Amino acid sequence: MVDIAFLAISGLIIVSAIFALEVKELIYGAVGLAFSLIGVAGLFILLGADYVAMFQISVYVGAVVVLILFTIMLVRRESGKIVEQEEPSRLGRGGALVAGLVALAMAGAVIMLMPGSVEAPALYQVTLRELGRSLASSYAVPLVILGLLIGATVVGGLTLVKVEREEKSDGATQ
Amino acid sequence: MEPLSSYIILSSALLGIGIYGLVSKRNAIRLLFSVELIVNAANINLVAFARYSNPPMITGWNIVFFSIAAAAMEATVGLALILVAFRLNGTIDLRKLNRLRG
Repeated sequence: MVDIAFLAISGLIIVSAIFALEVKELIYGAVGLAFSLIGVAGLFILLGADYVAMFQISVYVGAVVVLILFTIMLVRRESGKIVEQEEPSRLGRGGALVAGLVALAMAGAVIMLMPGSVEAPALYQVTLRELGRSLASSYAVPLVILGLLIGATVVGGLTLVKVEREEKSDGATQ
Repeated sequence: MEPLSSYIILSSALLGIGIYGLVSKRNAIRLLFSVELIVNAANINLVAFARYSNPPMITGWNIVFFSIAAAAMEATVGLALILVAFRLNGTIDLRKLNRLRG
């Protein structure tokens, strides 16, 4: 038995993902991606993982999609025209074929290997206290490493953009 | 509550859409979209398996936290690279960024 909420959310995810990849204007594509990610967050809520859903919305929709939007605007303004002039790709049909085969193989393999139909155990409310305790005790070292990695990423991104600008001011572009 | 296999089918479909984008799109930002979709397919699987294991485990959630953070960092560096490539070449069409072709 399939829930109606599950059907609606998965329809939203799939349709907006295809929209994000296929729409002509890149800005609308970013908005479609945002809707797809919001749908995934709704799926997390359906699975009882409210806190993960909150994290997903605040990081993905709040940070990543906004970053992508800013980049699209920067790239566009500097060129003064629409960047994307996508000629019909010869790889489109082959890509769709490969993707469909991979998806079918994955789903088929997992479902065949699964013992019968797995039913969910009773809903288990994880409290925030429990989650925080596990993050601070058994996942303390990965958390610190993650912080270091975020710092390195920010420094790396700034360096990339800055080095290029100095190079450009020397007149040594190509 | 729907069976676990419906979540797996959904995430396989999302993975397929992501692979299609990676293979057939020429715009670098579109490739970034595709990578995000694939990461989200993996996250759906992780949360679904964590929910359907008996008793439900919290480990899947923790891994998804780290995965989301890592994907955000990856998007940051990827966008910085795209910006640099655009300033150097004036395009982000991947077929035209072939200066390293031997």
